[in-house]
Amino acid sequence: MIDSKNPLSPHLQIYKWQISSLLSITHRISGVINLVALILIFFWLIVLSFGETNYELFLLTINSFFGKFILIGFTWSMIFHLLSGIRHLAWDLGYGFEIKTANISGIIVIVLSLMLTVIFWLLARGFI
Amino acid sequence: MIETRKWIFHRISAIILAPLYVWLFFSLILLSTKNYPEAILFFTNPLFKILTIMLFFVGFFHARISLGEIFEDYIHNRKIKDVANILVLISSIIIPVIILILLIYKI
Repeated sequence: MIDSKNPLSPHLQIYKWQISSLLSITHRISGVINLVALILIFFWLIVLSFGETNYELFLLTINSFFGKFILIGFTWSMIFHLLSGIRHLAWDLGYGFEIKTANISGIIVIVLSLMLTVIFWLLARGFI
Repeated sequence: MIETRKWIFHRISAIILAPLYVWLFFSLILLSTKNYPEAILFFTNPLFKILTIMLFFVGFFHARISLGEIFEDYIHNRKIKDVANILVLISSIIIPVIILILLIYKI
């Protein structure tokens, strides 16, 4: 053990989570999930080129309970990353740095991402 | 790539990517309720072909820069980091090229 009186950097177990840090890490995680989704889309097109029988089987898989669960997850991840990305772009332009503004925009991103996911899914699946 | 240029390209690719990704993802969810001929019909549209190919190139470009940043923060071994970056670079070229060939010659 290093015996040092120096303060430790954020210790994850005792770290007090704030909206800013939560959104920061979620932005990264959702970005990686979006990459996984893009790789799924890659396979979607590969299967499409394999012809009708294979594609119908693929459709059955993604329309299963598990498949829909994954696709809805990907939808949320995409919308969250997009909204959070807009927040980052605003910061890049120099807007919204005040703690209060940043907290409010963070909450807006979370709430709006959930609402838009529902709307996106209902629209795309033809319920609206 | 110089860090400043990387930063700028990352933002530009994000802005191009956002509408493309929402468009294709929405279309695919829509197609997931339809059958094979409708999916083929969708991808025979030349404009949709070009947009999809663009999405893959820009998307993997954006992902390559972002993953580079993540590796920078979490991979401390320099050699492993370099190998990871090279693997990502290779995939970010191969996958879009496969999509390009697929959409132009097969679908």
